[in-house]
Amino acid sequence: MTPLDWFVMIATVIAIPSFGLWRGRGSKTVNQYLLAGKTMPWYAMGLSIMATQASAITFIATTGQAYVDGMRFVQFYFGLPIAMVILSATAVPIFHRSGVYTAYEYLEKRFDAKTRALAAVVFLIQRGMAVGLAIYAPAIVMSVIFGWPDRITTLLIGIACVIYTTTGGIPAVTWTDVLQMSIIFSGLILGLITVVSLMPHGVGFTDAVYLAGTVGKLNAVDLHFDPNNRYNLWSGLIGGSFLALGYFGCDQSQVQRYLTGKSVAQSRIGLLFNAMAKVPMQFFILFVGAMVFVFYLFIQPPVLFERAAMKKISSQPEYAAVQRSFDQAWQRRKAAAERVSAARKSDDETRMRASVEEYRAAEKDLDTARQNGAKLYEKTSGASGFNDTNYIFLSFVTRYFPAGIVGLVIAVIFTAAMSSSSGELNSLAAVSVMDLYRRHFRPQASDRHYLMISRIFTALWGAWAVVFAQYAKNLGSLVEAVNWVGSFFYPVLLGVFILAFFFTRVRGPAAFWAMLAGEASILACFFFTKIAFLWYNVIGTVIVVVFGALFSIRRGREDRISAII
Amino acid sequence: MNLPPEMREGEPPPILGRWRNMNAVVLAWLAILILLFYAFTRYFS
Repeated sequence: MTPLDWFVMIATVIAIPSFGLWRGRGSKTVNQYLLAGKTMPWYAMGLSIMATQASAITFIATTGQAYVDGMRFVQFYFGLPIAMVILSATAVPIFHRSGVYTAYEYLEKRFDAKTRALAAVVFLIQRGMAVGLAIYAPAIVMSVIFGWPDRITTLLIGIACVIYTTTGGIPAVTWTDVLQMSIIFSGLILGLITVVSLMPHGVGFTDAVYLAGTVGKLNAVDLHFDPNNRYNLWSGLIGGSFLALGYFGCDQSQVQRYLTGKSVAQSRIGLLFNAMAKVPMQFFILFVGAMVFVFYLFIQPPVLFERAAMKKISSQPEYAAVQRSFDQAWQRRKAAAERVSAARKSDDETRMRASVEEYRAAEKDLDTARQNGAKLYEKTSGASGFNDTNYIFLSFVTRYFPAGIVGLVIAVIFTAAMSSSSGELNSLAAVSVMDLYRRHFRPQASDRHYLMISRIFTALWGAWAVVFAQYAKNLGSLVEAVNWVGSFFYPVLLGVFILAFFFTRVRGPAAFWAMLAGEASILACFFFTKIAFLWYNVIGTVIVVVFGALFSIRRGREDRISAII
Repeated sequence: MNLPPEMREGEPPPILGRWRNMNAVVLAWLAILILLFYAFTRYFS
C-alpha cells in the first residue's frame, strides 16, 4: 500500500464513525435510540437495509465466486423483490401500528410471552455469533493478504463500531449506513472501470464480456429445474423468496430498520427501493468478478490465491510438476483466448468455432491444474475442502490497482464490516432490553433507565463480538455451523409469523407445536436428503403453517382473534 | 385465512396513486431484469 492508499483508507475509516457520532447526537430517549423517534425517510431506510445485508465478505467472496463459478449466484436474490412486496404490504403496517420495538414483542401480543421469549433467545444466539463473524471475516483476509495481525484489525473495526453505535443508537447506524453505501457504490464503480482499463491492448469491453461468457462465467440465469442444484431460476424465485421473507420479516436487524420510518408509507417505499436496487447491485458485483477472470486470461494468476497456502505447497517435491502443468495450461488458454478475440473481428465462423472449442478445453485444463494445487495443499496441511475464493479479488486489487484505489477498496471492505456489525449490535441491544430485560426483569423503570441499559447492552454485545472474533480463527467448523443455524431457524420463525398475521384461529400452543414440527422437517431434510438448502426455507415454512392450521382446526368461529392487534 | 385491517387500508404511496401500482412496478422490474439477464446469458454463451 502506498501513502495515498493509507490516507484514503484511514480518512474513510475515521470519517464514518465521526459522521455517525454527529448524526446520532440527539438520541435522548429510548424511542429515539432504538427507533430514531420514527423519523427516518425512505431512502435512508432503504440504503440502511442494503448496508446491513452487505457485509465485507459479500464484496470479497461474491467477486471471487464469479471468478470461479460464474454469475449464477445472482439468482439467489431473485426472490428478494417478491418478499419485499409481500412484507411491505403485510409486516410493515402490522408492526408499525402495533407500536412494537421488536418483531418478537408482537408475538406476545398475538400468542404468549414464552413464544416471544423463545423467538428472542433464538435471535440473540444466532445473531450474536454472526456479529462476531462479520468483524472477523475481513480481518482474517487482511491478515493473509497484508500480514496485518487479525486481532488488531478486529479490535479496530469493533471499537469504531461500538463507539458510534453505543453513543448514537439507530440514527447513527442508519445515517452512517447511507454514507457507507455511497462509498461502497463508488468503490464498486471505480473497481469495474479499473478492471476494464487494465485489459491488454486490443481487448475491448465487448471482447472481455464475450470471453467471460464463452466459458460460462456469465451464466446469470439457469432455467433448468433441479432441487439439488443450489442456484437456478426456480430455487432463486421460490426458495429465495421464502429466505428473504424470513430474513426481512423475522430478523430484528432488518425489522428494526423499517420500524424507524416516518410513516408506514415511508417504510414501505424504503423496502420497495431495496427490492429494486438489490438485484442489479449483486449483478454488478458479480460482473466485476467475471471481469477479473478475463484479466487473468492475459496476466498469469498464481496457482492458489491464498499466499500462505502457496508458500506451503511451494516447498513440496510435487509442486514443480503442479506449477509446470499450470503454466502450460495457462499459456494454452491465453493463446486460445487471443485467437477467439481475433476470430471475432474476422467474422470467420469456422475459425471462430474452432478457437472457442480450443479455449474451452484449455480452460478445463487450467481448472484441473488449479485443483491439483488445492489437493497438494490439502495433502500437505491435512486440511480438507480448501477454498481460496475469498482471496481472489483482494489479491488482484493489491497487485494491480493504482495507488489510491487500493485504499478505497480496502476502506469499502472495512466500511461494509462496520455497517453490518453496527446494525446487528443495535438490534441485539433492542431485543436484549425490550424482550428480556424490560419484559422479565424491570418492567416499570424510567425511560432514562432503559436508554442507559440499551447503551450498556450495545457496548456489551460489541465487546462480545470483538472477543468472539478474537477466537473465531480456532472455530473453523463453527463458521459453517452458524450459517446452518440461520437456515434452520428462519423458516420456522417465518412460519410462526405467517400464522400470527393470517390465521386468526391459531393460538399459542398450536403455534408452538407447529414450530417443532417445522424444525423436525428441516432436520429430516438435512440428515436424510440432498435437497439444496434454499428449499429448506420453503419446506420448513409450509410445514409450520399447515400444522399450525391443522392443530387449530377444531376451534370454532368464536375462538377467532378479532383482529391482528 | 383472514386479512387483517392493516392490510386492507393504508396511506397511499407518494407516486403512482396506489400501492398495487407500486408493487406492479417492482415485480415488472424484476421480470425485466430476469429477461435481460437471460438474454445476456444466452447471447454471450
